[in-house]
Amino acid sequence: MHPRSRPRPAFWTAWPGLIIAGVVLWAIATTEVDLTRLGAAGPRFADFIARMIPPDFTVWPEVTQGLMETLRIAIIGTIGCILLSAVLGPLAASTITPPWVHGPIRSILAVLRAVPLILVAMLMVGAVGLGPLPGILAIVLHGTGMLAKFYAEAIEDVDRAPVAALDSAGATMLQRLRFAIWPQMAPVILRDTIFRFELNLRESLILGVVGAGGIGFYIQTYIRSFQYQKAATVTLAIIAIVVLIEIVNAALRRRVA
Amino acid sequence: MNAPTPGLAIALTGVRHRFRDRGRSIAALDGLDITVPAGEVLAIVGPSGSGKSTLLNLLDGRLRGWDGGALILGHPLSPKSQLSRRARIRTGFVFQNFALIERATVRQNVLNGRLGHADVLSSLLGRFSDADHAAVDQALIDTGIADLADSRVDRLSGGQRQRVAIARCLAQDPDLILADEPVSNLDPRTAEEMLALLEGAARNRKATLIFTSHQPDLATRHADRVVALNDGKIAFDGLADDLTPRDLDRIYGTQDLAPAAALRLVG
Repeated sequence: MHPRSRPRPAFWTAWPGLIIAGVVLWAIATTEVDLTRLGAAGPRFADFIARMIPPDFTVWPEVTQGLMETLRIAIIGTIGCILLSAVLGPLAASTITPPWVHGPIRSILAVLRAVPLILVAMLMVGAVGLGPLPGILAIVLHGTGMLAKFYAEAIEDVDRAPVAALDSAGATMLQRLRFAIWPQMAPVILRDTIFRFELNLRESLILGVVGAGGIGFYIQTYIRSFQYQKAATVTLAIIAIVVLIEIVNAALRRRVA
Repeated sequence: MNAPTPGLAIALTGVRHRFRDRGRSIAALDGLDITVPAGEVLAIVGPSGSGKSTLLNLLDGRLRGWDGGALILGHPLSPKSQLSRRARIRTGFVFQNFALIERATVRQNVLNGRLGHADVLSSLLGRFSDADHAAVDQALIDTGIADLADSRVDRLSGGQRQRVAIARCLAQDPDLILADEPVSNLDPRTAEEMLALLEGAARNRKATLIFTSHQPDLATRHADRVVALNDGKIAFDGLADDLTPRDLDRIYGTQDLAPAAALRLVG
């Protein structure tokens, strides 16, 4: 019998399970969850829904305006992400820069990614005041954390063999860039950029909640002032635009696959 | 350095190259003297690590840090600097792993073989001359993939990909074709087809063809001459028909194989 297959003491095989059980018990025991409140939630929720019906479409002009502002924030924010990533992406690619360059840049990108958008937006509102500008800045900072990393990976994933083949065929450096490197990178970069735009648009829907512009402002206002029928209109508009983004993006991604 | 000899595609004299592996200095090429007449089909065989690929990279001007004399199509090769664009155009290379742009079409990949001939600025704008397009069309016909011209490479089989790689090399209109293990990733039947295609294309164009292979039977069927390398030295240099099972024993160290197995290596 192989020595490794001897049964080990129970504690050594059970410790991961014990740790998980401990964590779960800690979470349940120390969180004030009053299950009796769930019983009252049903009727309240029904009441809430009932007050939303019928949706008040007289606010449609405001809702459209808010949506358009959100769309503008996402578009301008994505352009900012692309510009910053076009610089930071190549610098973060381990195949073209030395470790003392790509190391720190990658760490900065990781931090940008890690801070939640809503937190960045609150900081920006503090820095530049209310309106779409802090929203755009927040999207640029948060989105670049991801997009520049994707660009760096697109550069790192370029297969060197075709580049060497064109070199051998007498292609100049610019020709190798145009015919061997760019064709490998372009579809990946296009796909990642579309994906980031989709995320930017989704995430910017709630920016208005902290005063950073867009449709979120109306969600905040209508709910706080108990105007549920108006809030219903905003909710429907958001559901519609999310579904629309999904459909458009699926179509775009099929094209660049 | 030797004076260029007319009718000679390659002249190597005393070529040496060493590389370091875990602190040890290893001879990849150990004093090679090889001359190849223009228009010859030469197979380089030998076990893995015998220096076949190193030799081919040297002939393509991509190896650094070697000593000795090398004349390729009349151009002296330097271990320090790259060949001029004009000289690189005359040597085509077929890679083992095809080295194609996967997402591009067959035609785009073959057109890449014309980059050395094309005007740089026009090519960057995507404009190629009629001569470039004609060379591409001819290469597609010669390799039997004219009907696949608009297919993307990532939809093709291994054999079809190697045809594209060969077409790209032919479109370059080279005087010397170097092929590094061109068929080792292919099944036996496709391998046979592909070598026949390369050989035929080279002979039609009166180009010199040098290919490496670890399958001596395939090599002898398609080459005029065989050079066998072992530990960076020439272990055999002669007509393909003169390669005997005993030579193979010596090259591959197959003494412990049954004679029948060694014979099968020669086919």
